[in-house]
This record gives sequence, C-alpha cells and structure tokens, in this order.
Amino acid sequence: MNRLRWRAICWFAGVLALVTVGAAGLVAAQQAAEYKVGVVTSLSGELAFGGNVTKRGYDLWAETLNKAGGILIGGKRYRVRLIYADDQSTPATAAVAGERLITQEKVDFILGPYASGTTLALAPITEKYRVPHITGSAESPLIWKGKFKYTFGTIPTVTIIAQASIQTLAQDVSPKPQTIAILGIDDAFSKFAAEAFRTAAQRFGIKVLRFDIVPEGSDYTPAVSAAKALNPDIFAMGSHEKAAIEMIKAAKELKFNPKAFVQHYGMTTPDFRKGLGKDAEYVFGTSVWTPNLNYQAKILFKTPREYAAAFKARFGSDPDYTEAASTAAGIAFQEALRAINAPPPLTQAQKDALIGALERLDLMTFYGPIKFATSGDYYHDNAGLQPIALQYQGGVTVEVGPGKLRLKAPRYPTPPWDKR
Amino acid sequence: MELFLQTLIDGALIGGLIIVVGVGFSLCFGVMHIVDFAVGEWVMLGAYTAYWLVRYLGQDPMVYLPLIFALFFAAGWLVYPLIYRAVSGRRHHPALMGLVFTFGLSTLAKGGALSAWGYHVRSVSTWLSGQSVSLGVTTLPALRLAGFVFGVLTTVLFMVFLYGTRMGVSIRATAQDRETAALLGVDVRRVGELVYATYAGLTGMTGVLIGALFSIHAAMGAKYVIFAFFVVVLAGMGYVPGVIVAGLILGLIQSFVGVYISGRYTLFALFLLMYLSLLVAPKGILRRGL
Repeated sequence: MNRLRWRAICWFAGVLALVTVGAAGLVAAQQAAEYKVGVVTSLSGELAFGGNVTKRGYDLWAETLNKAGGILIGGKRYRVRLIYADDQSTPATAAVAGERLITQEKVDFILGPYASGTTLALAPITEKYRVPHITGSAESPLIWKGKFKYTFGTIPTVTIIAQASIQTLAQDVSPKPQTIAILGIDDAFSKFAAEAFRTAAQRFGIKVLRFDIVPEGSDYTPAVSAAKALNPDIFAMGSHEKAAIEMIKAAKELKFNPKAFVQHYGMTTPDFRKGLGKDAEYVFGTSVWTPNLNYQAKILFKTPREYAAAFKARFGSDPDYTEAASTAAGIAFQEALRAINAPPPLTQAQKDALIGALERLDLMTFYGPIKFATSGDYYHDNAGLQPIALQYQGGVTVEVGPGKLRLKAPRYPTPPWDKR
Repeated sequence: MELFLQTLIDGALIGGLIIVVGVGFSLCFGVMHIVDFAVGEWVMLGAYTAYWLVRYLGQDPMVYLPLIFALFFAAGWLVYPLIYRAVSGRRHHPALMGLVFTFGLSTLAKGGALSAWGYHVRSVSTWLSGQSVSLGVTTLPALRLAGFVFGVLTTVLFMVFLYGTRMGVSIRATAQDRETAALLGVDVRRVGELVYATYAGLTGMTGVLIGALFSIHAAMGAKYVIFAFFVVVLAGMGYVPGVIVAGLILGLIQSFVGVYISGRYTLFALFLLMYLSLLVAPKGILRRGL
C-alpha cells in the first residue's frame, strides 16, 4: 500500500517536472523568437472607434512584417507579437493597462493609445519603467511639452496640423472669409485643435467672433445656436469623430449656414461619411497623409498607394492618416531595433539604447519622413510633416490646399442646407 | 432677443429629451426603490434595435416605435424577476443589491453590444431628421420637437393611468408603502413587473429618438444615467409630475449657461444645482418626493 502511494507520488512528480520543463522551454523558445509588443488603446468606451483606428494600423504593420519573416537582426529574423490592453477610453485605465503590460507581460516596447488624454496618462508609466513608447495617433502638444524621454509620436502635434484648413480658406478662396466661430470639446486633443484654429485665424487676419469649449457628450445645440447668432463665415469644430458627426447634425437642424464648416479629426473616417451621407459634403478638414502623396520608400510599403491598397484588401475601407501613422510607428521601432542590433527579449540597456536609436532615426517611409525632434516644444514628435487641407467633394475627401498641395479647387462658399 | 428666444427653445427641447428618459426612471425608483443603472443601456439597445430594423427591413425608424415598445416591454418583463430576486429575500441591503445588479446589467449590455455590433459609430435618420420649423425668428428642429411632444405626452398619459385607473392606484399605493399595499391585497410583485416593463418599453422607444438625433454606439447610454439621476433628485424621488418641471429646468440651465456663460460650465452648473437641491430641498423642488 505504502509502496503504491510512493509510486503514485513519483509518477505525479515526474509528470509535473516534465510539464514544467516543457512549458518553460516553450515559453523560452517563444520569448527568444519574437518581440513582445504591448499595445494600449481604446477598445471599449466612448473612443472605441478611434481605438480600432490605431489597432488596424498596428495590426497591418505586424501582419505585413511577420509575413515578410520579421525583423532581420544579426542574420536571423524575429517576428513581432502584439499584446493588446484595453484602456476603456479613460486615462486612469490606460496607466494601469500599461503597467500590467510592462510588469506582467514583460513587453519589449509599447505602441500607444488613440487619444491624447490616455497617452498623457500612459507616458509617465513608460517613463517610470523606462520602456520605449511610440504613439501612432495622439496629437496634443501637452505630450511633447511634458518632455517624456521614453515617449515618441509619429503625427505632428495638432497645433501644427489644424492650421492647414484655415490657411487654405484664408489664402486660396475668394472672397476671403472675414470671421470665424470656434467650438471645441474639453479634452487634451480637441481643445488644442480649437486653439490651433484660433491661432491660425489670428495669423491670417480672420476675426474670431466666438471661442467656446464644451464638455464631451453634452448637447451641442446651445453652442451651435450661439455661433449661428453671430453669423460667422467659418464654423470650426475641434473634436473626435463622434462629436464631429453630432455637431454637423445640430448645425443642419438649426439651419446654420456658414460659408465653410471646418473640422480636424473625424471627417476623414468612414463613419463620418456613412453617418452624415450627403451632409458630409463641403466639410473641410486636415490630414498629414493621403494615398495621393508622392513618397517613395523601401520599408514594407513602397508608396502611399501601395499601403492604401494593402489596407483596403485587409480591412475593406480606405486608410486615413491616423491608420498610416500607426503603421509608421511600428516601422520606426523596427528600424531602430535594426540599427542597434538588439534581438528579443530586450534588456534594460537595450531599451535605453533603443531611445538613442529612435532619436537618431532619419527615415523615408510610405507615410513620409520620420525624424523625431530632440529638443524644443515638439520634443520626440515627428513634427516635420506637411499638413494638407481636405474637403468632401462628391462623397470623397480631396486635397484642396494649402497652395501647391491642391489637387482640386476648394468649393466655397458652402451652399445653404436647403439648396444642396 | 433673437438669441434669447432661441436659447429658451433649445433649452426646452433638450429638457424634452431629459423628460422622456427621466419619467420611466423616476417611476421605477418610486415603486421599486431601484436606481436602475441600466437606464442608458435601454436607450442604447433601443437605438440599435431601430438601426438594425431600418437596415434590414427599410422604412422610417419612427414606424417601428410601437414594435420597439412591445419588444422592450417584453424584455423588461423578462428581466424584472431577476431584479426582484436580487432585491428581495433575506438580504441585508436590498437597495444596494439592486444598484449592484443593475450596474452589472449595464456593463453586460455595453460589453455585449460592443462585441456583437462592433465599434463603429452609426446613425439612423428619420423623415424628421434635419427638418425644422421656423417660429418667428427662431428655429425649432423637428425631431427634437417630436421628442418634446413625445416626452410630455407620455408623462401626461402616465399620470392619467396613475391617477385614473385601479392599477394606477395600486402602483401609487406600492410606491407609498410597499408592506401596507401588500397587506391590503395589492400584488406588489405584479405591480413591479408592470412598472419595470413599461419603463423599459418607454426608454427603448426614447432610444430611437436619441439615436436619430445624435449617434449610435455601445457607450452612448452612459450620460443618460447621470441625467436621469439629476431629474429624479430635482423632481423629488419617485414623483412623476415633477419630472416635467425638473427636465425643463435642466434643459434650460444647459442652454443658458452654454450660450451666455460658457459651454465649459454647463456640467458644473448642473452638479451645483443637484447639490443645492439635495441640501435645501431633499424632497425635490416641488417638495413632493419621497
């Protein structure tokens, strides 16, 4: 009886040891073979749509890279594995999600959230644990003013980009608009989009009649009514995609007919077009990338058109600049890793070296040049891209300026709602 | 003057939407003493139901209002026994159990909607969308006007039902004193069932209007819990006629603060009012609540 029990215990211990060794071996093999890439973004909550914009961009990078075999380091190819964590569209959760990815999943580096508010919460965490982090989406100037050593971004700050549409309206249409009313949402991104509109208007001699910031999710009719009463030539809206749709709906309901509707982010997304139908027509917006640009690159995608085609084949819709910038964030990591020749898993010294490599990066990609600023107000932001003004014409967004970037003339003034 | 009138109208119409969400919520609280955290999710599910019906069967979403009422009435009927189970029996804190249970329902509905229907921001439009009525110097958006009429009409109908029928008497009796009502032969459970089902049906219908006015996505309901809560506090807990007054006040504050001070302070003004109301008039501004 005793012997039998001992035998059972031995069997059990033996099997357990085998399983443990096997599993450890498997984990070690997996760890050795691939980079673990943490992704913190909004997969639920108010910003779930935007979070999935970044997800598509990051996924396309990882899938295309893995299909090509992975990143070539020291003659051997290493694949990447994306590990997602949902920030639930709230900053506090973004910080917790980032911490979990770093301490439990032991990720090598992080691709950042969709929204600026969540990015601002994640940046101190990546700073604390000294883990490299690139956001392919966030545009708030506060991120770069925070001078986070471990945080980078591929999209120029909104204070630079959002000016393009106002510049186009000030310089390329006739008669030049004289007045503007600005409405922004109270979050780290939208508020600065609104402020960028104001700065641009002042720079180009357009009088600001009203500047209003409202909380996310509030009813926009009072603010739109207040703007309508002033009869401005331009009505500019700083917001994410959902509010962008709701503000246009409110304007139409109130028969508010400015000569131009200007937005920043939102109008380039498919949901904006689907949600508003023909009411999306004539709306101006901005971008730093469109498939029509003439960049020639060598890494993963050779041209913007090739990227757009691959994107459409994979997701069934056209990419906008945030999706392209998210893919470009992956490319920046990939090239910096090659530059320092660091195979996975990365040691702390290699992670620190990766920061130096990212700072030295001077790349041409399908998304355009990537060169992160290393000082000043745009510290670690890829601030050098040229912003483009867009307008909805015939159900698609077309490049209307500023200046030589124009592919089609801007349609101005916007006809009243009942004459469309 | 023109802006003042428009602000007044905007405020009243925003109030109309708050009334529609608040009326069922208030009754639900009054009769069952349950703060239904899932109120926003009934709105969200109503909006999605309209979206899918329009998508697959065509027609104007307004056509489906009675069907949506029936569907959500049935859903409420099915969900109620669960809530009843959570808040009754030998539990120490029935009100807290109700809160936790409906909070769970809300999370489940939000997560379920996100998994089932994805992250896209969707819109439905009705024949009233984008239409407006000009009244002197002001513009009345037709869809909001419909919402306002709908809100006031349902509240009035509800009051006729509450004050003019035998069932209404039972409901009011249950709201006033559950035990005594039960002792006098009111089937308290059935009353609760009817109230919750009606509330779910009404809120689902409201979702159609709200979905057409704004946009439809899984997280759209969150803010209506706050508004419904505001209304109930201001109206007096469980006092249905107060909902009209409270809804209008909330709408007007949003509108006037947004236009004449700054949109930034609308939520601040609302919260301030709620705190003051709880301090000064805990039974609601009409002093008729529980």
